Amino acid sequence: MDFLSQTYIALRGPTGAPQSAVDTIAKLSDRLSPSTLLADRRAAVLSLKGLTRDCKEDVGARALPGLLEVLQNDAEIDADIGKAVLETLHQLCEVDEGTKELGLKHTDYVLANERTTHTLFALLGDTNFYIRYATLQLLSTLLINRRHQVQSYFLKAPAGAPSVIAVLEDKREIIRNESIVMIQALISQSPDIQKVLAFEGAFEKLFNTVTQEGGVEGGVISLDALRCVDGLLRFNSSNQSYFRETPLPSLLLSLLLFPPTLQLQDAAPQEFALQFWDNQKVANVSLVIGIMGMLIGSKGSGSPDSSVYIRCFIELALGSNAPTALKTQTLRLLPTSLTFPLSSVILTPYMPVPDSNGEEWDRLEPASALDVLVELALHGEYNGLYGDNRGKDGLELRGAAVTVFNNFVHKDEIKQAIVQGMLSSEESTDAPSISPLLHALCIPPTSPLNLANVTTTHIATLVFSHLLGSSPRSKTIARSIKPPSAIPPTPQGQFFVPADGAPPGPQSVETDEDDAPQSVLHLLSENLSLCFLSRSRMEGTDDREAREWDRLIVGYLCLLAQWLWEDSKAVREFLEAGALGVLVEPINQTSESESLVPGLCAFLLGLCYEFNRQPGEITRSTIHPIISRLGVDTLIGQMTLVREDERFKAIGPDSMVLPYSTHAPLGINPADTEGEIWFDWAFVDFWKSNHYTVQKGFAMDPNTQASSSGPNAESAMLIGSLRDVIRAQAQEIDDLQNKLKAVSVGETQLNDLQSQITGLKTELKESEEKRKDVEKEQEDLLVLLDEMSTKRRKDKAHMRAAGLEVSEDDADGDEEDDDDDE
Amino acid sequence: MAGITWHYVLKFIITGDAAVGKSSLLVRLTDQRFLVNPDPTLGVEFGSKLIEIPEEGKVIKLQCWDTAGTESFRSITRSYYRGAAGCLLVYDVTSRASFVNARSWLADVREHADPHLTCILVGNKVDLCEENAEGASNGRREVPTEEGQRWADEEGLLFVEASAKSGQNVEAAFEQASRDILDKIKRGVFDDDRSPGVKLSKPTNGNLALDQGSAKQGCCS
Repeated sequence: MDFLSQTYIALRGPTGAPQSAVDTIAKLSDRLSPSTLLADRRAAVLSLKGLTRDCKEDVGARALPGLLEVLQNDAEIDADIGKAVLETLHQLCEVDEGTKELGLKHTDYVLANERTTHTLFALLGDTNFYIRYATLQLLSTLLINRRHQVQSYFLKAPAGAPSVIAVLEDKREIIRNESIVMIQALISQSPDIQKVLAFEGAFEKLFNTVTQEGGVEGGVISLDALRCVDGLLRFNSSNQSYFRETPLPSLLLSLLLFPPTLQLQDAAPQEFALQFWDNQKVANVSLVIGIMGMLIGSKGSGSPDSSVYIRCFIELALGSNAPTALKTQTLRLLPTSLTFPLSSVILTPYMPVPDSNGEEWDRLEPASALDVLVELALHGEYNGLYGDNRGKDGLELRGAAVTVFNNFVHKDEIKQAIVQGMLSSEESTDAPSISPLLHALCIPPTSPLNLANVTTTHIATLVFSHLLGSSPRSKTIARSIKPPSAIPPTPQGQFFVPADGAPPGPQSVETDEDDAPQSVLHLLSENLSLCFLSRSRMEGTDDREAREWDRLIVGYLCLLAQWLWEDSKAVREFLEAGALGVLVEPINQTSESESLVPGLCAFLLGLCYEFNRQPGEITRSTIHPIISRLGVDTLIGQMTLVREDERFKAIGPDSMVLPYSTHAPLGINPADTEGEIWFDWAFVDFWKSNHYTVQKGFAMDPNTQASSSGPNAESAMLIGSLRDVIRAQAQEIDDLQNKLKAVSVGETQLNDLQSQITGLKTELKESEEKRKDVEKEQEDLLVLLDEMSTKRRKDKAHMRAAGLEVSEDDADGDEEDDDDDE
Repeated sequence: MAGITWHYVLKFIITGDAAVGKSSLLVRLTDQRFLVNPDPTLGVEFGSKLIEIPEEGKVIKLQCWDTAGTESFRSITRSYYRGAAGCLLVYDVTSRASFVNARSWLADVREHADPHLTCILVGNKVDLCEENAEGASNGRREVPTEEGQRWADEEGLLFVEASAKSGQNVEAAFEQASRDILDKIKRGVFDDDRSPGVKLSKPTNGNLALDQGSAKQGCCS
């Protein structure tokens, strides 16, 4: 203060005449020029700083150019003047509540060209505490006011990134913390800056900070550093692939106390599962999980890295004492195409020891992750300890579990295997062990309602509909499931605490001998009509309870709609269980308070009409008059109301839990955080794509062939092509048969010819023999003739000698010939 | 995470005119494939690869930052020079202009980068010349090998001609540069911690973190 007053005196001059602030500022501004002595400039800056508070506008208007000049020339040389000018500029640029424009105006002036910004980044390299600190503060303010401008200057600054990293490494905590705050603003929405900082090693520095602060147990600093990491990675695939190359991904797991090398068959350690949680830690862990989820999401679930991450998520969500919100977050971050072998991972869920204030935990029996997941969906956290709690958090978690289950069973084979599993469990007659899901589905509604059971059954309908949805085979298997007839309503989960002794033996179910087990479909329609009955008794007495009944009814109706779709056998079974009466009643008695139930009933009725294609007692002709009496327009109108209902419209792929709101003012005022589930996205999707078919179906004559259920374009094409194939094959068969015939004809001919040949051969042989005989005879005769003629010649000679007349010799030959002829 | 170990991490930058094939070289190195129609790089992209230098018995992790060649990104890409241990200065053998511009790129590198940085001059796209060499003339080659070699010698750069399309000499280029850096390390030019581009891997550190984790498990359970 001493030199301040001295300056004032000096400025005032000898006359002692009072000066206005504006004059003073003008004079002080003049003194900022480089021609004055450094000490004078310093004094002037300090005085201006003092005046800034009261006369921000005037100081800004007059002194800003000079101040920037001083920053440019002196700050590096003289720490005192540097600190003063930085602080003055900071005050000038800061946006206070009242004078928003003024701060922005000054900021714009400071950022008019890149010079000042570059100087500031260069000043970050200064090791003087006050210079660094004040520079960081000024940069933060500039970034808040005009982020984009500063970012573009930063990229051109000669030593921008290295000096930013240098301050991140500063041993003095205040500076380091301030730099983390500044960096958060600097990297926001600028992939280029994110990459440069990653290149300079920002990840390593930030994680150093996190570890020094105590990891996730650390305070706000850990949080800010983690936020920075998140900012560097999100929407930046280049940085993500760089990050994966570093040892940091496993460090993330270590921060959560999860062993990065955990094998699939090993159990997660207890100190991971059971930790102490406070709000700060929840925020930190939530960021870590967010980063991990981002790394899984960008890579798909195939790699070994992400499978450890997924395992960690599953352990955290299903087998830990983490707060509900964190569990929900982890479940939602699991990849939608989940290929993780949920059923083969064994984990150990916990539940709090009653009255221990969350400090003591009981270990439950180990179970497969899939079982625990279904259990979580059906009964809520900690083995259904808070099953009747309708807190929004708890429902969100259960909803997220349903979604994960849905993602897990997206393959038809998995659906079938699970449904098949329910079937076999029923066949073992001795111990009626029943799958928890089936049990939850079949709990008979009791009046007055058990809140926990309503939610359980409702969620079971959702889960079950995911198993059947668009899987004709699963539907076929499900039709033959016959749960044991008597089901004891147990409000709590299925797991037991081994420490408490042996598992509760198979509950002795007194099976009524007369009562043969019914199929699930029968049970559902029975329960549905029971609900309608109780609901009608409820009218006007207790709104809240009525709403619970409505919700349960909606659950049943949604499941049935998805089950009966395109399954004519199930439709017949449902109709034979007396469905018509059950459905028509609520359509007839529309109350103003409830629009969902009649609409859904109308939908289901139309669906039954559409798909009732099996011969049975109740045919399409039976239903048609009922529909005409109710009125096609009325039915369509009621269906339209469903679409317009807030509870239907508010459902998105990620959100199925709605805040609980009572329609009537009479209702008791529930806590704000209470929530409720009506539909899930799968049903909304189903409804949207199919309601038109059903509406169209209402107007159809009972004798028309199934139009909608008939082939759609794709199957029509398939059928067409198959028909072609069949036609071609038939043609081919004909051809081949003709050929065969021809061949067989040839064969008989061949046989004939052969026999002919053999006949001819024998004939030939015979005639040949004959000919031989004749030849021989002829030869004999010739020999005889020869002898005769020799004899005759002799005789002639004798006769000549005896003087007897003899015929001419010439005639001899002739005579011989004649003889021969004779 | 999978426990791959390496002895050194070396940071490389790839620089040179636009469309000389910088990104293609990197993709060839990391993915063993050829980009048929690459988009121009915006800013920088990252890629990494493990290579082995058998005669040294060392495994090296290359971290490569592929920079944009377009003028508008020049100020951004400059930020990367300082932290690199190696630089691939790429030109296109079928474009004399890219070879001439390599001088200004080198000047840029010299100005901003660590003085001990190892720079290798890479003449890319030699496949285009070979194809045409079967024909009559010497194809589309505009920069003779000798000229590239001569300039590299003058400037004290390593030199290689390569093709990202065929893969010829791509890995060799990185290996040659890495050998040179290893040699510098051996001679003590780089102190392990002093150059930002060279890092001795600290497997001990990584393991330590894990060990701590398991030690904690031990005492709690």
